[in-house]
Amino acid sequence: MLETPYVTNYLTEHFGEEDYPTIEGYERVGGYRAARKALTEMSPDEVIELVKIAGLQGRGGAGFSTGMKWSFMPKDTDRPKYLVCNADESEPGSFKDRILLERGSHQMLEGILIAAWATGASTTFIYIRGEYAYPADQMERAIGEAYAKGYLGENVMGTGFRHDVRVTRGAGAYICGEETGLLESLEGKKGQPRKKPPFPAQYGAFGMPTTVNNVETFSHVPHIVEKGANWFRSFGTEKSPGTTVFGVSGHVVRPGLYELPLGTMLSEIVFEHAGGVPGGRKVKGVIPGGMSMSILPAGQLDVPMANEFLHERKTMLGTGGIIVMDETTCMVRVASVISYFFRDESCGQCTQCREGTGWINKIVDRIERGAGEEEDLEVLLDVAGKMEGQTICAFADAAAWPIQGLLRHFSDDFAEHVRQRKCPFAESFEL
Amino acid sequence: MPKITIDGTEIEASEGRTILQALDDAGLLMNGVDIPHYCWHPKLAVDGSCRLCQVEVEGIPKLQIACDTPVQDGMVVHTANDRVKAAREGVMELLLINHPLDCPICDQAGECKLQDYAYDYGVKASRSKEPRRALKKNVDLGPTIVFDQERCILCRRCVRFCREIPKTGELAVFNRGDYSVIETFPGTPLDNDYSMNVADICPVGALTTKDFRFKIRVWFLEEVAGICTGCSNGCNIHLGVANNKVYRYVPRRNDAVNDTWICDAGRMSYREIGAPDRLRECMVRDESGRLAPTGLDRAIEVAAGRLRRLIASKGAGVIAGLASAHATNEDLFTFRRFLSALGSETSGVAVVRGKADDLLIKEEKAPNGAGAREIGFGDARTVVDRISSGGIDALITLGHDALHESLLGSEKPLADLDTVIVLDTHASELQRVAHVIVPVRHAAEKLGTFVNVARRVQRVVPAVESAWETYADGEVLAKLGAALGLEGFDGSYDARQVARDLAAANPAFVGIDLDSVGDTGRLLAGSAASGAER
Ligand SMILES: Cc1cc2nc3c(=O)[nH]c(=O)nc-3n(C[C@H](O)[C@H](O)[C@H](O)COP(=O)(O)O)c2cc1C
Ligand code: SF4
Ligand code: SF4
Ligand code: SF4
Ligand code: FES
Repeated sequence: MLETPYVTNYLTEHFGEEDYPTIEGYERVGGYRAARKALTEMSPDEVIELVKIAGLQGRGGAGFSTGMKWSFMPKDTDRPKYLVCNADESEPGSFKDRILLERGSHQMLEGILIAAWATGASTTFIYIRGEYAYPADQMERAIGEAYAKGYLGENVMGTGFRHDVRVTRGAGAYICGEETGLLESLEGKKGQPRKKPPFPAQYGAFGMPTTVNNVETFSHVPHIVEKGANWFRSFGTEKSPGTTVFGVSGHVVRPGLYELPLGTMLSEIVFEHAGGVPGGRKVKGVIPGGMSMSILPAGQLDVPMANEFLHERKTMLGTGGIIVMDETTCMVRVASVISYFFRDESCGQCTQCREGTGWINKIVDRIERGAGEEEDLEVLLDVAGKMEGQTICAFADAAAWPIQGLLRHFSDDFAEHVRQRKCPFAESFEL
Repeated sequence: MPKITIDGTEIEASEGRTILQALDDAGLLMNGVDIPHYCWHPKLAVDGSCRLCQVEVEGIPKLQIACDTPVQDGMVVHTANDRVKAAREGVMELLLINHPLDCPICDQAGECKLQDYAYDYGVKASRSKEPRRALKKNVDLGPTIVFDQERCILCRRCVRFCREIPKTGELAVFNRGDYSVIETFPGTPLDNDYSMNVADICPVGALTTKDFRFKIRVWFLEEVAGICTGCSNGCNIHLGVANNKVYRYVPRRNDAVNDTWICDAGRMSYREIGAPDRLRECMVRDESGRLAPTGLDRAIEVAAGRLRRLIASKGAGVIAGLASAHATNEDLFTFRRFLSALGSETSGVAVVRGKADDLLIKEEKAPNGAGAREIGFGDARTVVDRISSGGIDALITLGHDALHESLLGSEKPLADLDTVIVLDTHASELQRVAHVIVPVRHAAEKLGTFVNVARRVQRVVPAVESAWETYADGEVLAKLGAALGLEGFDGSYDARQVARDLAAANPAFVGIDLDSVGDTGRLLAGSAASGAER
C-alpha cells in the first residue's frame, strides 16, 4: 500500500498514484512545467522576487524567508555557487521530509532546479540522513531519470543552463541537520557547526557561496512558480502562507501526516484530523513543532499553527512535528527523554551546551528517580537560561526551550516527584 | 583606523581586528582590560567555543564573543557590566561541574587559568550534586607529554596547535557532547619538534611535560627573560629559576622572533646549564702531561707564558683563534680585539649546522653566528685548513664546535700543536690536547647580546650564578691580553662597556647597547625593518 498523508493538498495530492514518483508520472500531472517556465521565461531575479512576494518561509525549523535567503547569494562572483538540500530530518517527532523524498522526489528536484536558476548555483548536494536508505535510493533514481531526460546536467532543458545534483549520505547525527554542521559533514569533517559570520551565502560548502534549504521548502517552489504568489497566499495566514505537512505522533488515534494550511488550529489537527487521544483519555500536553520546541498544556491548544501565534505562547512551529501526550504521561520522564537526546547529540564545542545538556540530563534523571530536591528546579531553569542565545548554533536553545516549557507548564509534576521521592506515575517506564 | 570604546576608554584599533586582538595589539588584554578567555590564543585560529569572552556591544541584542567580533568604528563595548558578569559566571560554573578537585595535586596550580578565573570571576560553591565525569588520568600522549582527561576543559587549543603550527595534527576531539575527550589518533603519538608547547598553551593542568611536572611548584619560580641558545633563531624564553637553578625554559612571546613558541630541543637545552659535564675549574697540563686543576691566575700565567714564548720564536702569525657562535658579541668583540692586538692573522668562527624547518628551527645550532661574522670572524675552515697545512702552532679556541665532523672531525688534528688554549662551558675531546682550559659561563649565567639569523640583537642576563668558579669568555681574554701586555688591555672586562665600544667601532651596532636592546631585541643597523618593529 502506498503511503500518503491522511489529508493532502497541493504538495501531496498525487502521492497515492503509483507512477507519480517516476518522471513520466510526474510529468503527466504537469511536472517540470514550472522549471521550464522559470528557465525560459523568467530572470533569476524575477524568480527570487516571486518567491519573496509569495512569502514562502523555510520549512526546516527556523522559518526564514526563502526569497530573502536566495537574494543573499553573491551575484558577481567567479566562484562556483552551491545549493544544499537539507534532508537530514532528525528532529524527533518529524517525519514529513521522508515522504516528500520518497514520493515527491521529482517535485523536490524541480524546486531545486528553479532555486538553482534563481541563485546561479552549479551543483546541489542533497544531504540525506544515514537512516533514510529508501528515500536516498528514490532520490538517486529520480536524479538518474532527470539526467536521462536532460533536465539535469550540462544543458538543462536545452537552455544552456548547467546544473548537477548529487546525493550525500549522513551518518545519523542530529547536529548535521544544523546547516553549518551539515556543511562540515558534507565536506567529510566532523559535524560541528561553524561560527557565523561568515554565513553560508558567503562561505558555505567547500568555502563557496551556498544556500541551504529544507526538503519541503524546495517542494513548494514549483507550485509557486506555476500558480503564482497570490495563489500560494490563498493558503495559510497573512504572515505564514502556504501549507505544510504536519506529522502527528504520540497518543492519538491516527498518527501520521497531514498536509494542511499553516494557521490550522492545533486543536483541530489533534482532535479532528488525528482523532484525539485513544481510550477516552485526556490530552496532557502537546509539543507543536518537533522535540526542540516548547510544550503546550491541554488548555492552550486553541492556537493557529503559525509562528506569529505560537510565539505568543512561547513556542514555535519548528518542523511541524506534533507530539501528543495524554494524561498518563510523566512530564519528568518526558524531560528525561528529551534531555538525554540533547545530551547525546550536542556536538560539544560550546561550554554551555556541552556541560549544560549533561547537567540538565543528570538533574532530571535524579528527580525522576526520586532523589530530587526543591532547589533543583531552580537550577534547571537557571542552567537552561544560561544555554540560551550564547552559543555557536541554535542547538543549545533547542535543548533549553523544551525544558523551560515543561517547567513552565508542568512544574507540579516535578514538585510531586520531589515531594513523594518517587515517580508518581504508574505507567512511567523504568529509567 | 577604527576607534572603539571599551568600558569608557577609547582605543584605536587596526582595521579587521577582533576586539580581543585590538586589546592584545594595544597591550591592554588582561593588563587593564580583563576579558577572560580560554579557547582564544593570539597565535591560533579563532575557535569561538569556550564562550567565556562574551561582552556586550551596544546596539547588538545578544552578547558577542570578543574573540570573534571585528571592531567597527564607534563600537562601544562593555566588559564588566552585570549582564556580562552573569554570562561569565555561567560559563565558569558549567566548566567547573565536571572539573576534578585536583588543585592540591595538580602541577598547573599557580598558573592555571581555571583556578585564576574561578577566583577572579567569582564562582560560588558549586550547585552541582551530580557525579563528575570519570575519565582517564595519566595518559601518555607521546614522548614528551602526559594528559589528564578529567582536567581538560576542551578549549581545543592543543588540537589547533598541532594542526596549525607543526601541522602534524596528532590531536583531535573524539566523541561528542559531554563525552568529548581529547585523544591522539590511534598509532600516532603526539611526537613533533614542537610538541611541548601544548603544555604552555593548555590553560589548565591537563597537558603537562614529562620533563617539568612535579619538579617544583611554579610559584617558587622566578621567570627571567632570556634567549634560547639552541639555534640561530634566538627564540625568546623565560628561564624558570629557583634556588639558583634553572628548572625549565618556556617561550616568551616575541612576535618578531618566535611568536609564542619554542622547539622541544631548545626547551630541553636548559639541561646544559647544570649538566654534569660542565667544566668546573681551570686546568693546565703539567710536566707529566696530565691536566691538573688550578686557579684562573695560574691558568692565565701559563697560557700567556706559552704564547709569549711562541711569539718570540715564530711571531704571532702562528697563533690562530677559533671563535664560538655560543659566545656573546661582547665576548667576541673582546676576542677580536685580542687577536688583532696580538697580531694573529688566522681566525674564524666554528658553527655546527643541522636540520632546519620553516617554522623556527634554523640550520646554525648556536645563537650567535651572525654576531660573530658581523664582528669579523670568517669561516672556521680557514683555521682548519691552516692547521692541517702545518702553518699554526697555537690555537685559542672558544668552545669546541670545531670538533664537529664538518670541521676538524676530532681533536687529533690538534695533537701536534705546541699550545692549545680552551675556553669552554662543557667538557669535550679538546681535553686530550689542551694545555690550558678555562671554564666559562653559559648564556644563562652572563650578561651580553647575540645576533640572531634575522639580524636581531637580543640580550641575555645572568639568571643564575654558576655554582663553581666560571668566567665570561671576554673576562678571560681581557686578563690574558693584560698578561701579554697587549695594547688596550688592562685586565678588566665590563660587558656594558664592551657593548658601547662595539657600537662605536662597528656601524652595524650603532645605537645598540645592553639597555637599548630591551627584552625583545633590536635589529642591527641597515637591516630591513621587520613588521614587529613598532
Ligand atoms: C540543531 C538543529 C538541527 C536542525 N536539523 C534540521 C534538519 O534536520 N532538517 C532541516 O531542514 N533543517 C534543520 N535545521 C535547520 C537548518 O539549520 C536550516 O535552518 C534549514 O535547513 C534551512 O532551510 P529552510 O530555510 O528551508 O528551512 C536544524 C537546525 C538546528 C539548530
Ligand atoms: S550549541 Fe551545542 S551543538 Fe551547537 S555548536 Fe555549540 S556545542 Fe555544538
Ligand atoms: S588538553 Fe588543555 S589545551 Fe587541550 S583542549 Fe584540553 S584544556 Fe584545552
Ligand atoms: S628554534 Fe632554535 S632558538 Fe628556538 S627554541 Fe628551538 S633551538 Fe631554541
Ligand atoms: S575565547 Fe572567545 S569563545 Fe573562547
